[in-house]
Amino acid sequence: MALFLAYDPSTNPLNTNEWAFPVCEVLHILGFAIGIGTITMVNIRLLGLGLKKETPAELWKGTFAWTLGGLALVLITGPLIFSSDPNMYLRNQGFRFKITMLVLALIYHYTIYRKVALTKTSGGVAVMAGAVSLLLWMSVIFGGIFIAFL
Amino acid sequence: MPPEIVQWFQDTALGTAIRESALVFPVILSLHLTGMGLFGGMILMTDLRILGIALTKHPVSDIVNGLRPWKHLGLTLTATCGILLLWCKAAIYYPNPYLRIKLALFVLIIIHAIVFRGVYRNVADLDRSRVIPGRAKMAAVLSMVLWLGVLTAGRWIGYWEPKAAPVNAAQVN
Repeated sequence: MALFLAYDPSTNPLNTNEWAFPVCEVLHILGFAIGIGTITMVNIRLLGLGLKKETPAELWKGTFAWTLGGLALVLITGPLIFSSDPNMYLRNQGFRFKITMLVLALIYHYTIYRKVALTKTSGGVAVMAGAVSLLLWMSVIFGGIFIAFL
Repeated sequence: MPPEIVQWFQDTALGTAIRESALVFPVILSLHLTGMGLFGGMILMTDLRILGIALTKHPVSDIVNGLRPWKHLGLTLTATCGILLLWCKAAIYYPNPYLRIKLALFVLIIIHAIVFRGVYRNVADLDRSRVIPGRAKMAAVLSMVLWLGVLTAGRWIGYWEPKAAPVNAAQVN
């Protein structure tokens, strides 16, 4: 599949300012540390590994705004980073994998996972929901790193 | 540290194997980022809870004590991968000023842990106190500043390039 955007990124501030690109990357990492980190807190509880003084529903509600804020930061800085060289990213297998997993992870998180976190406190379904979440989000991080190596 | 030692690290069988593998280096780097992704945010949530900004419906001790083993696991994973990444390119990273800033920040983080040991150890006291003590607030704010510094310095390591060595006339001739 040939993907090509008729857009010249050479005047993009991300490519002309020495600081812009790494600042975006730092905010991108900070964003996913907050977003995925708070999701991991709910996961630890669903998997029955810790934070047992709280229910998964309490942890979901307590971290909800922070998860959303972290993911928002990721979803703002991500497209900015993408804009620095769209055609490279579109062709990159690591990027394609990452975006596929990200879309799956986001849909899963706010549908099935949300429902399980708000209703189950333990059991096979809770463990399964936590494991799938962990796997999806780790795939996104791995895909992101491999962009630079493929 | 003399340059010969960092070169020795880089040239060990382990260092060479990691550096020259097309797969091992990015996998270790991914695990380094996974450690930050899964557990780094928990440092922030701990500090925000101490400051009374996040998770305020839960006792401070529940959050701080509950997250502690996971932060330790994350630190172990991230640091182990970081050491391996540094090991395999020790001589390349050695002159990098951002690496030195990052290592200096780790020294400050260790000092922070010692100085504010009491805050984290007696965290149940915070459950009972109606206002957050200034010392606890200071510990939380400094923790966030230091870790954000580590993240920033870490990312900048990748952007620094050594200045081209000046051409030595004697060598050319």
